[in-house]
Amino acid sequence: MNLVELDRVVVGYQRQPLLPPVTFALKPGTFFGIVGPNGSGKTTLVRTMLGLLKPVSGAIRYPGHKNRPRFGYVPQKEQVDSSFPLSALEIVLMGRFALIGPGRRPKASDFDASRRALDVVGALDLADRAYHALSGGQRQRVLVARALAGEPEVLVLDEPTTGMDLPSERAMLDLVASFTREKIAVVMISHQLGAVSDYAQELALVAGVGRPVEIGARDQILTSARLTQIYGSPIAVRSVSGHAVIFVEHPCDSGLHAKIDPEESP
Amino acid sequence: MTETPGFFESWFLWRDPLAVAVIAASLCALVGVYIVLKRIVFVSAAMSQMSGVGVALAFYLASIAGVDPHHAPLYLHPLWYALGFASLGAALFSFNLGHRRLAGETVVGLGYLTAAAWVIMVLNSPRVQQEAHEVNDLLYGSAVAVPPEQIKIMVATALIVGILHSVFSKEFLFISFDPEMARTLGLRTRLYNLLLFLTFALTISVSTRAIGALPVFAFMVIPPAAALLWARRMWTVFALSVTFAIFGAAFGYYASFQWNFHTGASMVIAASLPLFPGLLRLRMGRS
Repeated sequence: MNLVELDRVVVGYQRQPLLPPVTFALKPGTFFGIVGPNGSGKTTLVRTMLGLLKPVSGAIRYPGHKNRPRFGYVPQKEQVDSSFPLSALEIVLMGRFALIGPGRRPKASDFDASRRALDVVGALDLADRAYHALSGGQRQRVLVARALAGEPEVLVLDEPTTGMDLPSERAMLDLVASFTREKIAVVMISHQLGAVSDYAQELALVAGVGRPVEIGARDQILTSARLTQIYGSPIAVRSVSGHAVIFVEHPCDSGLHAKIDPEESP
Repeated sequence: MTETPGFFESWFLWRDPLAVAVIAASLCALVGVYIVLKRIVFVSAAMSQMSGVGVALAFYLASIAGVDPHHAPLYLHPLWYALGFASLGAALFSFNLGHRRLAGETVVGLGYLTAAAWVIMVLNSPRVQQEAHEVNDLLYGSAVAVPPEQIKIMVATALIVGILHSVFSKEFLFISFDPEMARTLGLRTRLYNLLLFLTFALTISVSTRAIGALPVFAFMVIPPAAALLWARRMWTVFALSVTFAIFGAAFGYYASFQWNFHTGASMVIAASLPLFPGLLRLRMGRS
């Protein structure tokens, strides 16, 4: 059974449509990638799915749930205020507040669950460290742990690898992908096409304001012709050892890159 | 020649005002932690002015009804009007303050300015002019003379606000720290935010009457800011903020008594003392 269904949902602000109608469904244990250029409406689409924004039209359904599934949300780390004097553990514990219930104090089991979540993301040693004193990558892990602590059925991540070096980025993506084995549906926003396409079973390509959102399997969505059209630059997609590799031809050094032939792309 | 009795000999004179000042300052410092962390310090100033509109309006209505404002029935009591208008401000400011065309702080500024203009207008109307001194005391507090009912009201306010902040501490913290995540998890963020702002309104409208507008604004900002310079955990921020406020109110009151300073101003200056070593520590890179 699907966890979330978007049925011809139009997203936007103050009743002004941003994107044409979008239809897709999330199943447990799937990895759904949302990619596209900066400012194209990816975050707006996800915020609507999370119920943070009302859709302009269309319906969002949560089959099999009285209200909605448990969501875990990892916002962009810049959105989280680091001026609060909170430890990593205190921040992770917040992920359990909805489970604890209003007006109740966290129990020992909630602290244990928060420590386990920190352990899963490899950040248990940071539990007592002040959040503001952590590096960007460490903060990101803490925010993922917070989302996990709430025992989510759907985990939504907004650009979780921004500012990370390549090994850290891969480690984060491996970690996030591993959650699908626990039947958690993962929705990840990224503008790093190649990285996400390695993990996502399904991709939504958000091309920009007023342009249709294309949804499908990686090979259907990531084609040289489509990306060249969306990004306005010559882009080639190649498959190397089963991974999608994306090249951008720079006008000054075209000789350094393979000549792009849209017909060759997958 | 008779000698003026010293501070400790005249405890019966200052016991009640000091008790009220200490409770009001502690309460302001407690809720002020959220005000400073949420970066909405001018909300307290605007809400204080809005509560002033309520007081002025109560006097105006009493004069129209031909009722002596000092013995006004419950429906014309200035405290209810102050609370009502401050709550209106709380509701207004607790919802989305900002807009693409109008920043949140501009909305707060508009609330402050409009309320201040209304207070001046009502106070200068011929109907209320005779009571202007009395209204002024109610608006800005005297921190010197405290009727017995004031102590009861202050204690009741402290209990209500204290209980609400104790019961909903995790909700208030979460919606202040990361409202988006809180909403995603299904917390009723608007309701909790409104409740938090209503505790600001209650604190401001009752404390302003007790110790004055400037000390209330100061106790909501200075002790929490000083505490944030020293503390590394949330509970220590609350504890230090209240401690600094108690010190500021008590020492400020003592200083005003001993050296004949203005009581409110003296308390504000005393409350600001812990700021300086904190700022120095920050400057030296130890924070």
